[in-house]
Amino acid sequence: MSRPLLRVHEVEKRYPPAVGRAGRARAFWNLLLRGRSEGGTRVLEQLSFEVVQGQSLGIVGANGAGKSTLLKMITGVLAPSAGTIEMHGTVSALLELGAGFEPEYSGMENLRMNAAFMGLSRAQVEERLDDILAFADIGKAIHEPIKHYSSGMVVRLGFAIVATVRPDLLITDEVLAVGDESFQKKCIRWVEQYLAEGGTLLMVSHNMYQVQKLCRQAMWLHEGRVHAFGDVFDVTQAYLAWHECKDQAEKAQRPPPSAQLCRVERLDLRPCDEDGRCVLAMGERLEVHVELDSADERAPVVVIGLVRADGTPVYGVPSDHDDFVPARTGARRFCANLEYPHLPLLPGSYVVRAHAMDPEGLRVHDSLEAEFTVRGRSRELGLVRIEHRWT
Amino acid sequence: MLSDLIRREIRGRFIGSSAGWLWLLVTPLLLLAVYTIVFGLIFRARVPEGLAVPFIAWLAVALWPWLAFQDAILRASESIPQHAALISKVPMRREQLPLASGIAAFALQLFGYAVVLVVLALFGIGISVAGIPAALLTLAVLLLLGLGLGLFAATLRVYFADFQHLLPTLLLLWFFTTPILYAPEMLPEQMLAFVHLNPLAGLMSDIRGVLFGTQWIPGPGTLVMLLVAGLIFLAGLRFFRRMSPYFEDFL
Repeated sequence: MSRPLLRVHEVEKRYPPAVGRAGRARAFWNLLLRGRSEGGTRVLEQLSFEVVQGQSLGIVGANGAGKSTLLKMITGVLAPSAGTIEMHGTVSALLELGAGFEPEYSGMENLRMNAAFMGLSRAQVEERLDDILAFADIGKAIHEPIKHYSSGMVVRLGFAIVATVRPDLLITDEVLAVGDESFQKKCIRWVEQYLAEGGTLLMVSHNMYQVQKLCRQAMWLHEGRVHAFGDVFDVTQAYLAWHECKDQAEKAQRPPPSAQLCRVERLDLRPCDEDGRCVLAMGERLEVHVELDSADERAPVVVIGLVRADGTPVYGVPSDHDDFVPARTGARRFCANLEYPHLPLLPGSYVVRAHAMDPEGLRVHDSLEAEFTVRGRSRELGLVRIEHRWT
Repeated sequence: MLSDLIRREIRGRFIGSSAGWLWLLVTPLLLLAVYTIVFGLIFRARVPEGLAVPFIAWLAVALWPWLAFQDAILRASESIPQHAALISKVPMRREQLPLASGIAAFALQLFGYAVVLVVLALFGIGISVAGIPAALLTLAVLLLLGLGLGLFAATLRVYFADFQHLLPTLLLLWFFTTPILYAPEMLPEQMLAFVHLNPLAGLMSDIRGVLFGTQWIPGPGTLVMLLVAGLIFLAGLRFFRRMSPYFEDFL
């Protein structure tokens, strides 16, 4: 067990209250006399975690969850309002596109300055200059003022400097997403190699694919607290599922069922745990059980569809398509079972929708939904696994 | 690190201007010409008894150190908002920003001072070469004091936006209460005592003394002030370091 490279202990951050003059003056005296400020908006609370050498931790969370604030405190740009942050080793941070670059100066001057900020001596910069320029690959533009650079060029230069510094802990905040495809790949290759050689990474990203690719662990920050911490796949999937539900909730509710000629009475999924939640591994069997009510005693048509939690349809099939007729179980009661023997959905959160239609299959009279989650470790993209073979 | 910042600060002053470094020569000479016209031709100001130098030379010898001192404080106080982007993104020892700005501003004015002294010498005004080491010591004290006050100013500037309007006025007041445009002997008796409370008064008379060859070593003013300036600098540094971790919240 190696000594933690970074230890964050019960860290809290509040931003000072009102920017009014009186508020500032009060904050000033509080800081001067007691070394801390009071009140204000709480951005992070009671945050504790450790990062050991060689770990790669992704931080995910909605906008405003406190991710960037946390990174700023770790790099020392921001002081925590309470708690302690211990660092044992060198840190380099790419907090923002072109942070610390002065637009008026040429790329070369900014390069030297930034390298100095990261602790390189003048001689070291000279020594590594060719490497930096080769990595940045922006050609003669290095002698132009930064203000004429494209955002991609700025990031190239910034990343190239960090790449030569090789810190013990690398912190990136959503910067890998800026360069063009080929530069992104170059960066990711570099980070992978850096990790393979024992480097430590702390990254914030909204790109779950990147997080899953580069990090082994993830932390989900939600409203200033750690909502989940653990294996990158578990955390990112839970996070994505939360997002899908949130998107769904924002969408308009479905219209109320019209004339109740037929209704979906029950919708049950199997497997099902004691809390009634349906969680299955990728490729497992999913069973859907529907109970229907028919006013005129004729067997209704039932449509069962799978949609992702954000509403993207995946697959749906009406019972009459397969010439299946729901079985009668009592007065006005019918039931149907549908089985997916090897559900090929990729990990994520999904919804089963059951629609009851009139016996002619012309009109939907009622719908019911049930959620389920597919777990698994996969970097495949999209919704379903399609059978494939590499040759 | 600090030297990188200072270089950058100095280069930044001339970046984009076509005459560039030439301004380093032109600005002090123009200013000298203006003062010659105003004080030499219009006001016909006179030097204190017993000195055989024109008023303009007598003025210039004390005026440029003041300009350097004043510029160091002003630039240091503006250094934090000026580099707000840097402060909020790059971890660094923050006191380096006001120090670099202050030192760069002081150095640039000092260069102008050298130009002015050379020009005065060319016009046949006796500048004592032997007094230069002593003058440098006095200037060093002035720089130390300017940086110390600059650190205070930079901190206050972040927490109190009004300070940026107040500071130039305070400095103007200080300028006129310091014997630069006049000699301390020209003051009425009862004000003379107060002048000695002004930390700059001794420094100004010392630098005049050594450069015009009326004294060889720095007077007690400079030596006492070395101690005072050192203490003010340390206090400024402590104050700045205590308050600077929270700058980002207020910028």
